[in-house]
Amino acid sequence: MNDDELATLVKTSVTDVHMTTPADQIISRSHAVRTRRRIPGLAAGMAVAAAAVLAVTALLPGRSATVRPGIHLSAWTVIKHADGTVYVRINQLRDPAGLQRKLRAEGVPASVVFGNPLNVQPKPCQWYHGAVAGLLPKVVPSIAPGQGHAILAIRPSALPAGAGVQIITPTDLSSIGVRLVSTSQGCTGS
Amino acid sequence: MGTQRLGFAEFYRESRDDCLRTVLISVGDQDTAQELVAEAFARACASWRTVSRHPAPAAWVVRTALNISISRWRRHRREVAVPDPSAVADLPAGDGVAGSSVDPRLMAALMRLSARQRQVVALRLLLDLDTRATAEVLGISPNTVMAHMAHALSALRNDLAPERQHESPS
Repeated sequence: MNDDELATLVKTSVTDVHMTTPADQIISRSHAVRTRRRIPGLAAGMAVAAAAVLAVTALLPGRSATVRPGIHLSAWTVIKHADGTVYVRINQLRDPAGLQRKLRAEGVPASVVFGNPLNVQPKPCQWYHGAVAGLLPKVVPSIAPGQGHAILAIRPSALPAGAGVQIITPTDLSSIGVRLVSTSQGCTGS
Repeated sequence: MGTQRLGFAEFYRESRDDCLRTVLISVGDQDTAQELVAEAFARACASWRTVSRHPAPAAWVVRTALNISISRWRRHRREVAVPDPSAVADLPAGDGVAGSSVDPRLMAALMRLSARQRQVVALRLLLDLDTRATAEVLGISPNTVMAHMAHALSALRNDLAPERQHESPS
């Protein structure tokens, strides 16, 4: 298959997809957008509040393997919430082994690879073959790659027996990948 | 204002499907894409005087939709209720993406690309942007766009080729 055939395949694959929202509804919604913009300080206030939440989150004592009060943002932060969900924020692609240890300590059978997974030798992780459609979104319900950092949430309770999570970030934080792998001593530590 | 609305309505009618398809390939879920694109068009309408002068208004809409997607996730991440379509990257080909009418095998192959590669593929192929315009929309260099495009096409070709060979009796 050459590039042109491939491009045609991609183009034609979405020809049945149509926007169904009526123009009137869009225009009506735009009035609300305009009104919101006219409220001075609201957006700024929300940004300050969001920043405050982030700051508190990043500096929660005893919740992170690498963050300590008074120290600026670390390479990554792991926080386990009361509902068991483990949140990971990766700021820099450093210390994958430390992140892997921290995740395992928080109850996530995990493997972390920063860099090209093809360079990891030997290859200890195997795909989890018991996966059914929709399982991964339950285990990792949200993931947000970004320019300066990536954030993902992991629910260990959604993992079936024998399954673990592998985080792969080959080049930069805009392309973080997550997959389910079979647990093993070499891959997820157990 | 009446003329402005007319201009926007025409723009919406002509570009809505292309924008939706582009965002769909980027985020992987049709309902989410529909919602994001609707909000982006609403913002375009609210700033139509500015957006209409943009060299590629449809690209503005797509960029805005993708930005909304990221902002929305950040705002609600503590609620753990936002499924991430890129998570289907782990699913075997053929399982497809919920809420999408796109060929599930192709969509699964697209979802195995990185988010940036999907954005480049979508902007280049579905919005017909050239390398330079794609680079401007994504805030990356033209060389990076070309590299992403080449890698994405190569990965798609490898991903889809065995299935096609399998389908063809020799």
